Amino acid sequence: MAESIAAYEAKVSAADATAPVAHIDDATNTGISNTKLAMWLFLASECLLFGGLITTYLLYKNPLEGPTPKEIFDIPFTSVSSFVLLMSSLTMVLAVSAIERGDHHQLRVWLAATALLGATFISGQVYEFTVFYREGLGYTTSRFSSAFYTLTGFHGAHVTVGIIMLVSLLLLSLRGKMPEHRSETVEVVGLYWHFVDVVWILIFAVVYLIPS
Amino acid sequence: MSTVESPDHTVPTAVLDGAVEEYPRDKLYILTALFLAVVTATEVATYAWPSFKAWHWSETSSIGIITVLLLLMAVKFFTVAYIFMHLKFDKPILTRLFYAGLGLAILVYLAVMLMFRIYFPGQHI
Repeated sequence: MAESIAAYEAKVSAADATAPVAHIDDATNTGISNTKLAMWLFLASECLLFGGLITTYLLYKNPLEGPTPKEIFDIPFTSVSSFVLLMSSLTMVLAVSAIERGDHHQLRVWLAATALLGATFISGQVYEFTVFYREGLGYTTSRFSSAFYTLTGFHGAHVTVGIIMLVSLLLLSLRGKMPEHRSETVEVVGLYWHFVDVVWILIFAVVYLIPS
Repeated sequence: MSTVESPDHTVPTAVLDGAVEEYPRDKLYILTALFLAVVTATEVATYAWPSFKAWHWSETSSIGIITVLLLLMAVKFFTVAYIFMHLKFDKPILTRLFYAGLGLAILVYLAVMLMFRIYFPGQHI
């Protein structure tokens, strides 16, 4: 049994060692830099956070009082917001590609575009929350409203943190402190941004589109 | 094209040349984004044209539309994870790490739903 486990680990290790990599191998056991590995670990833990929040929403999505999701959701508006966030993933990955080519002008353009698209999404969310509140859906109106605002609010907070990181990268680049060999910094921020996007893919389908 | 020289340049740019050359993926990224846009449009179509026959397998329930939406959601999720997050091009250990978090999240979901007896009609707490 121990031998088969050892053989499996050796096989997995060999597969990792010869796997195609998006970047140069780092001088670590896995060939992955500690920063990147830490970000992936963080994202794995974030799966649990959003998994818990989505589960809570699904549990409480049928309100006992106050407006129902069907009455207040503006699907066409949220669809446009979702599309904006989805396209920000494209601009983000183009920013990573640009710095790896050493094209700093393109890096700044794509970083600025990503931050702008993220800010558009957040503006849409603020507008949506304002409309819902005016229609009588406060945070404590019903168990549905609490679960909805907590889930989408946490996601919005993550997008806001992402925008701050993007603007920081942009400022670093403008000051000449983002050379090609630090491209992994942009990639790690990109991983966070894409994760925020995949979480919204789940929220958009589960919260807005799937009928009760 | 403007380039920025770093005063603390510890890794020669030449070392990165290989990575730059093996990274002509911009076209793939744009095609992926187009694909994602089409999938999103299909998702929204389930709301805009709810009477479309393709997502109505049952007269009495929404099982068809829910299945279609869950499938489209999964396609979008894994497309972003594999292409934009580079899981397709990177070390398999990262994929396993991400799946571990995802698997735990699904287990949490199932545990809570079972605890509240969601899957047992008439016994929902």
